[in-house]
Amino acid sequence: MDGFFNKIGELFSTPEYINSLLHGFLLTLQIAYFAILMGLLLGTVIALIQTAKKSKLMILPKFICNLYVTIIRGTPMALQLFIMFFVIFAVRGFPQIIIAIIAFGLNSGAYVSEVIRGGILSVDKGQTEAGLALGLSRTTIFFRIVTPQAIKNIIPALGNEMTTVIKETAIVSMVGMYDLNMAAKDIGSGQNMASYIVPMVVAALFYLATIYLITFAVKQVEKSLRKSDLRVEK
Amino acid sequence: MSLLSVVNLRKNYGENKVLRGVNFVMEEGERVVVLGPSGSGKSTFLRSINRLEEPTSGDVYFNGTLITDKNIRKMRQDIGMVFQHFNLINNLTIMDNLILAPVKLKLMKRDEAIKRAKQLLRHIGLSDKADAFPASLSGGQKQRIAIIRAMMMRPKLLLFDEPTSALDPESIGEVMSLIRELADDGMTIMIVTHEMSFAREIATRVVFIDEGKIIEEGEPEIFFSHPKTPRVREFLEKVL
Repeated sequence: MDGFFNKIGELFSTPEYINSLLHGFLLTLQIAYFAILMGLLLGTVIALIQTAKKSKLMILPKFICNLYVTIIRGTPMALQLFIMFFVIFAVRGFPQIIIAIIAFGLNSGAYVSEVIRGGILSVDKGQTEAGLALGLSRTTIFFRIVTPQAIKNIIPALGNEMTTVIKETAIVSMVGMYDLNMAAKDIGSGQNMASYIVPMVVAALFYLATIYLITFAVKQVEKSLRKSDLRVEK
Repeated sequence: MSLLSVVNLRKNYGENKVLRGVNFVMEEGERVVVLGPSGSGKSTFLRSINRLEEPTSGDVYFNGTLITDKNIRKMRQDIGMVFQHFNLINNLTIMDNLILAPVKLKLMKRDEAIKRAKQLLRHIGLSDKADAFPASLSGGQKQRIAIIRAMMMRPKLLLFDEPTSALDPESIGEVMSLIRELADDGMTIMIVTHEMSFAREIATRVVFIDEGKIIEEGEPEIFFSHPKTPRVREFLEKVL
């Protein structure tokens, strides 16, 4: 046990090791942050197309969205990453981080679209009909009636999706990117600390802390949204 | 000129022909009760009037104007609707439920709408619920709010789609007496219901729909005591 704590001391006091770890962590956060943003944007657009009223104009966009979601959800993330790196962006010198962000953003977009679509569809259709019967436009109905109720249903699942993206970025080590996961392996290797357990446990704690923070923040948002459910009378 | 006239209205869901050519004319001040067995198409008929159901073919004229995709929103402002499941907007307070449409559609100024909403709330004895959310109301209260929400628009025609079917017996009474009041005020009403005695009491005309067609219509006294068609006779024997 003494050895373990000594090693922890060594990891945090050796600038080379701790810098590597923090660099890796930063890369993980950067990829995850921009991928989540991209996923949210893309997922929202796709969900809107999928839930839009059926019309001739929408046949092709709806088809494309369904195809995209089916392909993304039906293939491994690691393979999607490989295809991005070795097929689509197989250009020398193209920044790796951008490729990774696109790969994870595209992946997350498909899942986010399902979450948002489910949230929109979960709002009782009768309220939309009531709005229509009053002569309101579909835009007004969407923003004043459907969206506020859908968001309550969407937030928890969206939080879940965010944490999934953060954890999944660990597979960028498979294409040689130096993220938190890769840093842990590198620091633990023979020419460095020659012990995997300490850097890996520390990396795990970094992931865990990040996920915990996000989960906590989402819970707070959930709570504040739920307050309006309880706010029955003034 | 009739307030409402429906010409050869048809509605198919794939192979299933729900409405098979409905022709119907209604004058201002009339109170038409639509009866029929379940699945006969009476709700679809009602919902086709304000296009919550898109008719497969046929025309609906309201106030002399053909209802089209272009003018439907304008038309709906004059055709109120009350649903079986109330359909209050859950994320809005009762006051906001009442004033949303008239203010958003610029039919009234906000303070004007609030004033009218308060009047109507006072009238139905629910003034204290203005700032409450729908979740805290009983079924009967929700349905009475839904009725005054429709009345906020000062509609020329009010459609009721089984307004008491989802209510407990006590609430049914509350809702019926509010509808009765509207009737006494001269409101033009079309109502789909299974409450036969209420139908008999409130209707100026009864329309019977079976298998997507109007098969008999007439004054309630004659309809209920001397039905012409065997189908209606059979129906009344079962329900009365």
